[in-house]
Amino acid sequence: MMTTFSMKRVNAIFVKDWKDLQRNSYVLFTLALPLFFAAWLGRIGADSAEMISFPIVFALVIAGAFVQAAMVAEEKEKNTLRGLLLSPASVAEVFIGKSLLSGVMTLVVVAGCIWLAEFSVPSLPLFALSIVIALVIFLAIGTLLGLLSRTVMETSIIGMPVMLIFGMSSMFKSMITNEAILTVMDYLPNELLMNIWVGLESGADVGESFLILTVWAAVSVAATVIVYRKRRMD
Amino acid sequence: MEHIIEVNSLAKSFGDKLALKDVDFRVRKGETIGFLGPSGSGKTTTIKILTAQLAATAGDVRVFGEPVHLLKDPARMKKIGILTDNSGLYDRLTVQDNLALYADLYDVGKERVREVLEMVSLLGEEKTPVKKLSKGMKQRVTLARAILHKPALLFLDEPTSALDPTTTKHIHEGLRELNREGTTIFLTTHDMDEAEALCDRVAFLHDGEIKLFDTPQNLRTMSGSPTISLLLKDKTTVTVEPNESGAAAIAGYMASGNLLTIHSNEPTLGDLFVQLTGRNL
Ligand SMILES: Nc1ncnc2c1ncn2[C@@H]1O[C@H](COP(=O)(O)OP(=O)(O)OP(=O)(O)O)[C@@H](O)[C@H]1O
Ligand SMILES: [Mg+2]
Repeated sequence: MMTTFSMKRVNAIFVKDWKDLQRNSYVLFTLALPLFFAAWLGRIGADSAEMISFPIVFALVIAGAFVQAAMVAEEKEKNTLRGLLLSPASVAEVFIGKSLLSGVMTLVVVAGCIWLAEFSVPSLPLFALSIVIALVIFLAIGTLLGLLSRTVMETSIIGMPVMLIFGMSSMFKSMITNEAILTVMDYLPNELLMNIWVGLESGADVGESFLILTVWAAVSVAATVIVYRKRRMD
Repeated sequence: MEHIIEVNSLAKSFGDKLALKDVDFRVRKGETIGFLGPSGSGKTTTIKILTAQLAATAGDVRVFGEPVHLLKDPARMKKIGILTDNSGLYDRLTVQDNLALYADLYDVGKERVREVLEMVSLLGEEKTPVKKLSKGMKQRVTLARAILHKPALLFLDEPTSALDPTTTKHIHEGLRELNREGTTIFLTTHDMDEAEALCDRVAFLHDGEIKLFDTPQNLRTMSGSPTISLLLKDKTTVTVEPNESGAAAIAGYMASGNLLTIHSNEPTLGDLFVQLTGRNL
């Protein structure tokens, strides 16, 4: 139930998180990881859509999900979320302000990865659309992880399997022989993103992948809202 | 008479533990109310229920005339200020940045930040990151944050528990000033001097029950009559009652030049609390 939504309050949260980020070495270091990875790929001259999808997906998982999770969990751990929710700020304003900052940071890191890996983006508008949908998915997953953990430490434990599945599973694909697992993997957001980017490069049809990716976005946002509603009373 | 807070038959249990049992009280606009009680008596629980951070197990709780669970609405939250031990600060941010955030959330000008910092004696610490502050200084930043928007109703959970007497006194003056400007204050404390210094009415809370709820003056009268102690030149102390025979005794000692000092023993709220509950504050 939202009676009034205030951009001024969203902006206040965003500015606060931006100031905090500059002094948060844990988060800054985490944000830099995908950039090192991309720079390394650039040095060995890997610039196909398939190779470059690794650091970009990695950036989305790390910057979108991991950093968002750490930021949400820290607000709970330090009791600052309680303070915000006792102010005129609504839950939506708090989480949108936060997601805006994580979102902007993720875009910066993704752009940095593309530049460092010297990747030429195929079909910019559709590529950008895929990144935006992916941002929604990973920010929602990050918020969810943050809500499920009580401390920042816990997010890195709960987040590990998420990072392995969503961030790195594509790299191990060649080692997997089980058909069922491979089929399931085709529906993971990271695989869908890679399909889209490879498809955009080669001119193949990417409509279905976009559709499934959008379903992922809707489901992850819904799951986050449901978990928040369940958790708020304890 | 306008009641800002109305509590009827409030009870709260945590599992089998009954933290509040059948609590009833009302707070009028402009009053400063103190809940005085020892550790574990239910002070924080009361504040959390009044600010919708905890749901009551039974009873009816109204703030500004509305059931307390409807509180979460920007327009209403703007009228309330809250200081509890669980409302944290951003410890990597400076004092200024912590308060600037809330100035924006409450839509008040940044010049107000200076005013509240003066009130909590923290001018000059604007640029200090909160993690470098002492416990008492953090408590003062949280207090500054709670009063930034001059709330109509202010909840303070042990606002001066970590502070030295001089700072406490300065903050008491600030709170009285805020109260004169129209803020209704609900505070908890286990310091009877604080309750006397600030409150129009004081509730004695013990084991989740209100044992007495009255003005500090009336409470003090209840705890027995005052006596007068006389210190004589030979270092003996004589205690007399403030009546005719007492007056005669004092006059006698004075006339004989035997009297060194004289002082009155007024019963304190603490004495009454012990009489009532068998427990110290
Ligand atoms: N979350 C909780 N779960 C279980 N019991 C609780 C909880 N919160 C409070 N209690 C119990 O309720 C009672 C009242 O606690 P409360 O915190 O209100 O006391 P208090 O008067 O604020 O004490 P203090 O002066 O130490 O702050 C205590 O017996 C406490 O153990
Ligand atoms: Mg308490």
